[in-house]
Amino acid sequence: MNTSDLLILCAAGMLVTGYLMVGQKALFTTIRLFGIQSLLLGVVAATIAVTESRHELFLTAGITVAMKAVLIPWFLMRIIDRIGINREIEPFLNVPVSLLVCLGLTVVGYRVSTGFPEGAQGVRHHLIGVALSMLLIGMFLMVTRKKAITQILALLTVENAVFLVAVGVTPGMPLVVELGVAFDVIVAVLVLGVLVQRLVARFESMDVSRLSQLKG
Amino acid sequence: MNLLLWALGVPLVTAAVGGLGGPRRFKEITMVGGLLTTFALCIAIAFEFLGGAIPSAFDEALRVDGLSALVLVLCGFVGLLSACYGVGYLRRNEERKLVTPRMRREFYGLIPAYVFAMLLVAMSNNLGILWIAVELTTLASVFLITFHDTGTSLEAGWKFLVLGSLGLAFALLGTVLLYAAGQGHLGEGMAALNWTRFIESASKLHPFTLRLGVVFALIGYGTKAGLAPMHTWKPDAYREAPSPAGVLMAVGMLNGALYCLLRIHLISAAALGPTFSGDLLLGLGLLSVLIATPFILIQWNLKRLLAYSSIEHVGIMAIGIGLGGEAGAFGALLHMTYHSLAKPVAFFSAGTLAQLHSSSNFDRIGSGTFSRAPVASGLLVLATLMVTGSPPFGLFFSEMIILRAGFSGPHPAVTAVFLAALVILFCGFAFQIGGLVLGPPRDPNDRRVPRPEQLDISMATALVAAVLAMVSAFYLPAWLLALVRAATRVVMGGA
Repeated sequence: MNTSDLLILCAAGMLVTGYLMVGQKALFTTIRLFGIQSLLLGVVAATIAVTESRHELFLTAGITVAMKAVLIPWFLMRIIDRIGINREIEPFLNVPVSLLVCLGLTVVGYRVSTGFPEGAQGVRHHLIGVALSMLLIGMFLMVTRKKAITQILALLTVENAVFLVAVGVTPGMPLVVELGVAFDVIVAVLVLGVLVQRLVARFESMDVSRLSQLKG
Repeated sequence: MNLLLWALGVPLVTAAVGGLGGPRRFKEITMVGGLLTTFALCIAIAFEFLGGAIPSAFDEALRVDGLSALVLVLCGFVGLLSACYGVGYLRRNEERKLVTPRMRREFYGLIPAYVFAMLLVAMSNNLGILWIAVELTTLASVFLITFHDTGTSLEAGWKFLVLGSLGLAFALLGTVLLYAAGQGHLGEGMAALNWTRFIESASKLHPFTLRLGVVFALIGYGTKAGLAPMHTWKPDAYREAPSPAGVLMAVGMLNGALYCLLRIHLISAAALGPTFSGDLLLGLGLLSVLIATPFILIQWNLKRLLAYSSIEHVGIMAIGIGLGGEAGAFGALLHMTYHSLAKPVAFFSAGTLAQLHSSSNFDRIGSGTFSRAPVASGLLVLATLMVTGSPPFGLFFSEMIILRAGFSGPHPAVTAVFLAALVILFCGFAFQIGGLVLGPPRDPNDRRVPRPEQLDISMATALVAAVLAMVSAFYLPAWLLALVRAATRVVMGGA
């Protein structure tokens, strides 16, 4: 198997984890799926780092795996353990319909990806196509799910999609920016975690569809 | 040492000291003193710029041109006002035993931190640093929104953070795509993301990637600015945040987000011509003004009313930029300046009324506030006249400039709709505030007696802000006008 096959395999794997997250109701499994997705993103970055000898991408891969495949899943699982709610309730759309919508979103993502300069053929086309599809799937996940934790995971999926674009089509983000973004993401997840715990303490639920007092 | 680093360092140290604790008076003096120094440093930077220099640091990652200097001065100004008002605000709550140690830490720590992040936004020349700074403003303000730790404030904080983070993910994607559009022409390393570098190599950017990036970045930063239809977090957040934090969001963050929108718009204008992103801004701006109108007419809460007013004003600024031409840009930037002077008065008077009545809902405050709190009510009426753009105040002039630019430009129909919305907005706002302030005094047998008004540092700050806002309508200092003109030159593609 050559490296471009590996890249396409990993990118496809990321898309599959996105689909599985849409079909999944157990929160622990959803978090693990997100961890696998981040791990695959790390592999993509590392592979590109080797094949194009862009060594700064090793750092991207390292940060991604350490942060999004290990640290953040661990933190979210700890929150779930503490508050003792571990299943998603019935989403606004049922699973088969959701998966069909995601299929449509993937088509849209791939269609848009054809406009890129490198997009006509090859591996890059798949990377951008997968990234844009994941972006749309993440947003879809965000609007159809009710649990606060799932919304955080949806947000992180969108972030993963952005990083896939970054490693796929740019000559590598500058180091300072990369570190700054990583720091901001981790702080954002911590703050979201604190808010989830305060929400549960106040409403005895992390069902965000109950947050509907403020209108007009 | 570099002034820019001082202007960033002072609020950061103030935040660290305030967040750690210590006696109350010490923390109060630290916050006001720190933000006063910061404001002085911002003015010093502006004068350095007006003297002909381009202050910069870290290989031009931070760089102050006319636009940055204007936003810096306005942010520094509102930071100082917020600190002075905030000291009195917290004292009033202390008297009523409403303040926990957590609140003290968050208040004295997060307000200077918020100012720090806003100043970093205004100085950023590097699109990556710009994104990081905007994310920092979001993170600094979340716990200010959930400050009172009630059900509604948690709801507002959650919506703010989730929507804001999604918007910022879009903005990050936009930044990445802009970088990708460079296709290696931007060079290597940190400086490759510099805004100045983008402008220099505008003709070499790949058009499709650039368009996609501009759309994502404008939607992303537009969420932070509160442009419709991404404005839904704003009324909730403004209602729940304490007034000193609210004014930072309504003026400082609004200016900062507009700064981001302008930078992206300028890259797009240099590469694709002014109409692509200009029309997008024009559309979003008009939508914001139109959406704000009905919500102001049916509003039930004083602070939410101010939030819709702020959605209206950011819409007006976006329209001014979108109309294009020097007059439109000048009008928008003048509008930003006058709005930054007038909005604090509205927030401080409304905040005082809300605090006296322990609620910002119209039905809890009750009509006829003039007999109970004459100073705050008077200031609120004055602020209403100013923010609705009545003559002879500054926002009237800036709105006139934008309208004239609109009618003489290619979009007279859009401008006509915009003018109609402005008239309805004026009537709606005047109706709401008039009913609140001038209505019949409420039943004297009502058991929920409001607290009496007292002249403290908060009230003094509100009065000073009101005097400055009024004077500025007739006499705008020459250096401030020079900054507005310099910022206009930046928007028109000059140095």
